Amino acid sequence: MREKFETEVVIIGGGMTGTGLLRDLALRGIKTILVEQFDLGHGTSTRNHGLLHSGGRYAVKDKEAAIECYRENIILKKTVPGSIEHTGGLFVKIPEDPDDYVHKWVNMCNETGIPVEKISLEEAFMQEPYLNKRAEAVYRVPDASVDPFTMLTDVAADALNRGAGLLTYHTVSRIETKNAEVSYVVARDRYTGVEKEIHAPVIVNASGPWGAYIAKLAQIPLKVINNKGMLTVLNHRINKQVINRLRMPGDADIFVPAHDVTIFGTTGRNVEKPDDTSLEREEFKQMVEDGKALIPNLSNIRSIRAFSGSRPLFEEEGEKDLSGRNVTRGMALLDHEKREGLKGFITITGGKLTTFRYMAEKTADLICEKLGLHQGCLTQEIAVPPRQSKEFLKHPSLPALAKKKLCSWAGINNSQIHSNLEEDNRVVCECEQVTWAEIQLYINQSNHFNLEDLRRRTRLGMGPCQGSYCYHRTAALAVEKEGVSGEEAAEALTDGMDKRKKGMNVVAHGATDRQLKMMEGVTAVSLGIKKGGKAHV
Amino acid sequence: MPEWSVIDNSFDKCLKCNACTVICPVSGVSLDFGGPKHLGPEYKRLTDNQITVNEPSIELCTLCGTCDRSCPEGVHVSLLTAYGKAVHAEKSGTTLRDLTLSRAELVGKLASAFAPVTNKVMKIKPARKLMEWTMHIPAERQFPEYKYNHFKKKYKKKEATTERKVAFFSGCYTTYNAPHVGEAFIKVMEYNGIEVALPEQKCCGVPMFANGQMKQGLKNASSNTNSLLLYVNEGYDIVTTCSSCASSLKKDYPAFLQTEEAVKVSKNIYGSEEYLRKLYEEGELNMSLASLDEKAGYFSPCHMKGQGVGTPAIDVLELIPDYKVEDMDAGCCGQCGTFGFKKEKYPLSMRIGNGMRQTIAESTKDYIVTECGMCKNQLNQLAVEKVKHPIEIIKKSYESVLEKDRL
Repeated sequence: MREKFETEVVIIGGGMTGTGLLRDLALRGIKTILVEQFDLGHGTSTRNHGLLHSGGRYAVKDKEAAIECYRENIILKKTVPGSIEHTGGLFVKIPEDPDDYVHKWVNMCNETGIPVEKISLEEAFMQEPYLNKRAEAVYRVPDASVDPFTMLTDVAADALNRGAGLLTYHTVSRIETKNAEVSYVVARDRYTGVEKEIHAPVIVNASGPWGAYIAKLAQIPLKVINNKGMLTVLNHRINKQVINRLRMPGDADIFVPAHDVTIFGTTGRNVEKPDDTSLEREEFKQMVEDGKALIPNLSNIRSIRAFSGSRPLFEEEGEKDLSGRNVTRGMALLDHEKREGLKGFITITGGKLTTFRYMAEKTADLICEKLGLHQGCLTQEIAVPPRQSKEFLKHPSLPALAKKKLCSWAGINNSQIHSNLEEDNRVVCECEQVTWAEIQLYINQSNHFNLEDLRRRTRLGMGPCQGSYCYHRTAALAVEKEGVSGEEAAEALTDGMDKRKKGMNVVAHGATDRQLKMMEGVTAVSLGIKKGGKAHV
Repeated sequence: MPEWSVIDNSFDKCLKCNACTVICPVSGVSLDFGGPKHLGPEYKRLTDNQITVNEPSIELCTLCGTCDRSCPEGVHVSLLTAYGKAVHAEKSGTTLRDLTLSRAELVGKLASAFAPVTNKVMKIKPARKLMEWTMHIPAERQFPEYKYNHFKKKYKKKEATTERKVAFFSGCYTTYNAPHVGEAFIKVMEYNGIEVALPEQKCCGVPMFANGQMKQGLKNASSNTNSLLLYVNEGYDIVTTCSSCASSLKKDYPAFLQTEEAVKVSKNIYGSEEYLRKLYEEGELNMSLASLDEKAGYFSPCHMKGQGVGTPAIDVLELIPDYKVEDMDAGCCGQCGTFGFKKEKYPLSMRIGNGMRQTIAESTKDYIVTECGMCKNQLNQLAVEKVKHPIEIIKKSYESVLEKDRL
């Protein structure tokens, strides 16, 4: 027997857009359930630079996208404050890049209202010691660093607090239609195999790279180009501000500081499958080679790991009448009732992390129109709860660096973390200074023990050792203290280590190669887990 | 922004294996100390290009440098902990006591100028109680004696004319507390036909770095580098009888100053026994060493271990006929330079020294040899009265030959 649910809107896809839409609809008081096949942000939303664009990057190429980015940049700094670090960004002109682009770029920034300030080379080199000393001009823009993990978590948590429904690790196996109208979706629990039937008059396809697949379940043809980009995580934070190359956007030309590391990338290659997150060593090497234009010492800086994700780019078939609302070249909001005659089915795709809120707003406006409702959008005004919790500074026994982490992290969970700390104040993940108190909090919030989910919420295992030590520590503590079964912990450990290794392998030379060997040594010798074998926790 | 900066990316290589934490003498006895891995490479990685973070427990790092030797990846762990100390000192300020302790040379100058008085006062209980109240220097802590006729007063030679020439870096301890060690070294060199010059020199900076006085430490380091470079360029070998000075000149100067000059000087630095070993290996050591029927235990100072040159003292002492010397392998003494003179660190200093105390107290050696004056201080207080510098033994052996010749 399937469990049946009734709601007003079903969102398929728990990326930033889907999650943003979930919150937007919750704020409008519209009943919504979001279905995500894995963890929130499993796809593109946690596989990006974490760059809150000022719009500078698109000023010349796509004026409308630039304007959108700048407007959203200001709104998000206000409404998702805990996930954004006001780093500022630099656009750097190097001799290899055309001179005339600079004037064009400055003019377009002025025209679109993006504040640009030219700074002296001396100042730039003082602030960013790794920057290419051959730089010819440097401009400052209001770029910022955004943490997609916390942003997703916080936006989702706020939506849930406002009554929204969320099913993670549920895969949509069917979209049922009746009389050219959507009827319900069937969602199957990946852990238990149990199916749920969710009935709603509106179904939104917000599944990014899986967009074509989901549309097909509703017999709708949709062309999404999945453009895979590779990024690498540098071992430490080499820059204070975002560093962009001042030229037409290309490969390997952005360095974004992200907490204690720098994320560098990216590339672009079209792939067939939405879940193709493969990593090529040649691609990595080329990326580092290209990146030297901005950071000449790049090949001497350790990379912890690489990862990849696909940009879902919408492509209109032929010259067909645009019955959907192609809002800008960046984002595509498709009303499949107007396009193909399927009532209640909407696709929102394309766009950027920076513009997720705007994409959600436009989609929610369309949903309201469909449902005959008149609630306006509130997400440009109402902020999610902040993350700052300065009171951890006074904690008597924590290391200063663990305090620093908690001060910018704990947010609404601070009293729970405080009480967890009283019981046990150990730091489990040393590289990223993650306490057991934080991990415990999220273990208790989740139905399943999954180290990668914990990583996305706490930064567990995100540092240079990539879980070599902290993954099995966490697994052991979960069994010992939280009643997680040995089998579940063992499975999580094997799965987690495999995922860490995948990202390390592609960048494995020098220290990271030795780290990988160390990890394998710890796993095989200390834990007695043979290659390909199962862990026993 | 600090006026100094430490640009060192060796933390990129850290594999988080914690070998340095395992070998760290402080981590071995206290959970209050975050350990060298955390407060060295990890701390730097987590603060680079971000707001500075003040971690008070860095005070418990003695800057002994054994972590450097343990690191399989060659991370400059103690350079990075010195950086954390400097940040802490800058953020939290430095007490008058720590400032005083960091100026070992100034203290040496003053204390030896009034030596008979200083030495007496330091043994008067009420005076020490007063010091404990006002300066937080524990009353129970023994102090080394200061000598009125200090080394620099007696030895002023600025130039050597022999083929092999040595420039002697005497260091504060030999200068003000143990001039006889300096004299023994000059004698031993004499027996080997080597003249010794005494260059212009300041405190090597070890007590400054250890107390977070990075700016002053760097000042001394560059002044010494400039002075010693003149001698290096003239073909002198730089030799010191102090293992801490040697450690600093070899390791800290090039790492902290990051100049070609400091690197050049560092490559010409030798501990006194290391230098004798070099002479021996090159077939130049005067081998007319008289037999000494003595049984000694060798205590290896952390700053000696951290240099990674083995145990030259044992290698050289074993050349003396009939002489028996055994490595006591007694860990860290716990004095750790200025560390052991601080009231709040005193219990920890004693806890670290406990292992050493047991090992040494159980032994049946005639005496202990060690290169370090500070280790000697703690050995004296905790375990054994008779502690000698290896160069004294070598001198004795050479002298005995002469005496025998006379007979």
